[in-house]
Amino acid sequence: MQKRLLFPLLAAFAALFPGGSLRADDELTLYTQRHYGFDDTVHQRFSEKTGIKIKVVKAAADELIVRLQEEGANTPADLYMTADGGGLDRAKKAGLLQPLVSALVEEKVPAHLRDPDGHWVALTKRARVIIYAPDRVKAGELSTYEDLADPKWRGRLVVRSSSNAYNQSLLASLIEANGAEAAEAWAAGVRKNMARPPQGGDRDQIRAVAAGLADVAISNTYYLGLMETSNDKKDLEAAAAVKIFFPNQEGRGTHVNISGAGIVKASKKADLAKQFIEFILSDEIQSLYAQGTFEYPVSETAEWSENQKRWGTFATDQVPFSVYGERNAEAVRLFNKAGWE
Amino acid sequence: MAVFTGVLTLPLLAILVSMGQESVEWNHLAETVLGRYLTNTLVLVLGVSLLVLLMGVLPAWLVTTCEFRGRRILSWALILPLAIPTYIAAFVFYQGPEAAIPLLIQVRQRFGVDAFLLTEQVIRYGLLILMLAAVLYPYVYLACCSAFARQSRAVIEAARCLGDSPTRAFVRAALPMARPGIVAGVALVIMEVINDYGAVHFFGVPTLTEGVFRTWFGMGDKIAALRLAGIMMLVVAVLLALEQGLRGRARYVEADAGGIPLRRVPLAGAKATLAFLLCVVPVALGFLYPVVRLSHWAGLYFLSDAGGSFFPGGAALGRGFGLALVTAVVVTAMAALFIYAVRLRESRLRRFFGRVAGMGYATPGAVIAVGVLVVFGTLDRVAPPFLPLVSGTLFVIGFAYMLRFFAIPLQLSRAGLERIGKPLEEASRLLGHPPLRTFLQVDLPLLRAPLAAAGMLLFVDILKELPLTLILRPANFETLATTAYSLASEARLHACAVPALLIVAVGAVGLLVMNHWLQTSPTSSKHE
Repeated sequence: MQKRLLFPLLAAFAALFPGGSLRADDELTLYTQRHYGFDDTVHQRFSEKTGIKIKVVKAAADELIVRLQEEGANTPADLYMTADGGGLDRAKKAGLLQPLVSALVEEKVPAHLRDPDGHWVALTKRARVIIYAPDRVKAGELSTYEDLADPKWRGRLVVRSSSNAYNQSLLASLIEANGAEAAEAWAAGVRKNMARPPQGGDRDQIRAVAAGLADVAISNTYYLGLMETSNDKKDLEAAAAVKIFFPNQEGRGTHVNISGAGIVKASKKADLAKQFIEFILSDEIQSLYAQGTFEYPVSETAEWSENQKRWGTFATDQVPFSVYGERNAEAVRLFNKAGWE
Repeated sequence: MAVFTGVLTLPLLAILVSMGQESVEWNHLAETVLGRYLTNTLVLVLGVSLLVLLMGVLPAWLVTTCEFRGRRILSWALILPLAIPTYIAAFVFYQGPEAAIPLLIQVRQRFGVDAFLLTEQVIRYGLLILMLAAVLYPYVYLACCSAFARQSRAVIEAARCLGDSPTRAFVRAALPMARPGIVAGVALVIMEVINDYGAVHFFGVPTLTEGVFRTWFGMGDKIAALRLAGIMMLVVAVLLALEQGLRGRARYVEADAGGIPLRRVPLAGAKATLAFLLCVVPVALGFLYPVVRLSHWAGLYFLSDAGGSFFPGGAALGRGFGLALVTAVVVTAMAALFIYAVRLRESRLRRFFGRVAGMGYATPGAVIAVGVLVVFGTLDRVAPPFLPLVSGTLFVIGFAYMLRFFAIPLQLSRAGLERIGKPLEEASRLLGHPPLRTFLQVDLPLLRAPLAAAGMLLFVDILKELPLTLILRPANFETLATTAYSLASEARLHACAVPALLIVAVGAVGLLVMNHWLQTSPTSSKHE
């Protein structure tokens, strides 16, 4: 009895939702982790120049990986983009990407910022730095990430949750540099030094330093750029009260995370996808990103924004990014053991 | 019945099955973080449950049985916090810990680090619990209102005649009779608390849900993550079973379905003021404060030079809106069918099916989304090629919403059914009406109010839904929630306030319409 009613209802339900549009040749579909309104501007420029429309699905990096896996050969996606290098590496390991051969990519992107097999390439960089209150921290006091575990910082440091991908890849870089044991001791030391349990985002850490709750914070630089150009008076005041310090300049250099893209294996529009990647790597678009999102260009010839010039140049850690992808799970395990929530 | 439940629970089963597989990280999790996740989850569940009882039951009683200045406005204003998504409330309420920084610094200077850490924790956990309770209590309030309104005057007056004071009549007669409704409401609140991700993460109170994501995505151990999700379902199942056990064999039967409506007791002076305050505080916390804050931010945004430049196309938003509407109607219809099937022949197995079908509400949206992806991805691979692809269409999202929110119509109408009891139905069957006709002519009209209310609640919930929508949506598909989320993740709070306010506005209107339906339905006692 109930089946007689059930199936018409299911059918009606299905009929209400027509399937996605047939795949057109003048369209590219992006699965992206990047939630920046600024990206729309870039997509529009690309469409104006090439006549190719950009369609977007925005979600978390690993959720999109699951979606790509389950959709398999039927996926509408042509490009997979992330705001963190680990996701790119996991997508490659899952066999979801195809190699990209491009002379322009090899010319513009330093080798450690792209996959050795060409499955993904960095499009922008973000530096993870120390933000400090100049009235409470002397310039000579700051040196390295490692130093932040020193007891002299007890109760003076704030940083966000270890669920955050940027913290995970920072710890992966410390495992790579100093070994797992030292990295765990570091995480435990930093946890002890925290002025409060981890909470909020990077921006909230900067605010806490500005308000005097802590003296130093670990944060990505672009958050400070966004605050410096915010229309919120509170943001402007907080940004003015802090300074950037680039750690490990004497040694391996500051830890840099990447935002990047790879061409989806099942995509039949690899040429268009390559065209899109090359477009983003052009100096014009690279410096547009520097001004719009305050991420650093990967292209050495692209111009930085005024804010970035003011923060100054710095040496970066040159470890191939794929290493961080491999060490990510280990990093989370060490965070769990160290009690860094 | 079995087919339908099967379809509905396939994604959940896909999750449950994979839980049994070998997990690399499980022992590590159990040794390190599991305890903290469990403690935090239980602290939030208990804290929020107690607060929603305070904020929901008492105002419901006052508004339905007493008459005082402002009662009419408050009676519907008390529902409005439901229009505020927790992830938006979190941004607004996090202003609290931020504003407390100067105070915290004082504490640290005067009383030392331990006192400081304790104060910090109390403020943060306290505000998180207060915030969750302030936007979730309407589930309890609504359930109580309909329960109190339909309690016949006879019962309360009998209690009064036996010498009970109004307070005692409330505690001894009204409250126990409203128990199914209260439990249904609190169950919904608990499930919302357990699967919240945004707010708890932002406040730095990692619960099992955060553990699920962290283990899955950070460590790549799907099995361990799903086991955590399984524990969450277990927590809910245990709590519900506990309540069933406490209730024992008691059944709820409406003594006098068409009974004389309650006459409201007029209050005056200090009593009226107190009643007013008790009712106004929840509204102020859960609705007025967030709305004022958001309006302030939205105002600042429009005054800035960026004003008006970001907004996604109206067409995209229209689709999100349409999807919510259609899904709400379809899911409500499905729930009615489901209830009919369960009622047709009550058995242990069928009641179990009913429980399983409602489990989606206690599962994080992202986990459901993955289960749905697995099922439809497989379906697309094995289907003959001439059939259109299902993955990536709105159908998938609609289906996932149904899975996620099926508990709402189920819970609301179950409470209704329990109060209706069996006599009416048995009478109809004795008169020779077949089961379907009995259901359509007897049960359904009596269930119209809870079902309409459930439909509206679904609409508002789908409109607010975020994690599942993010993963499953087709390309270029935006809802107000995803727009707000994008802006918030860029920390553009002022711009984010605009779509947030729109969600609140649409949600509030929807809730008021729902309330109107409840008030004018035949099962409620209307006497305005």
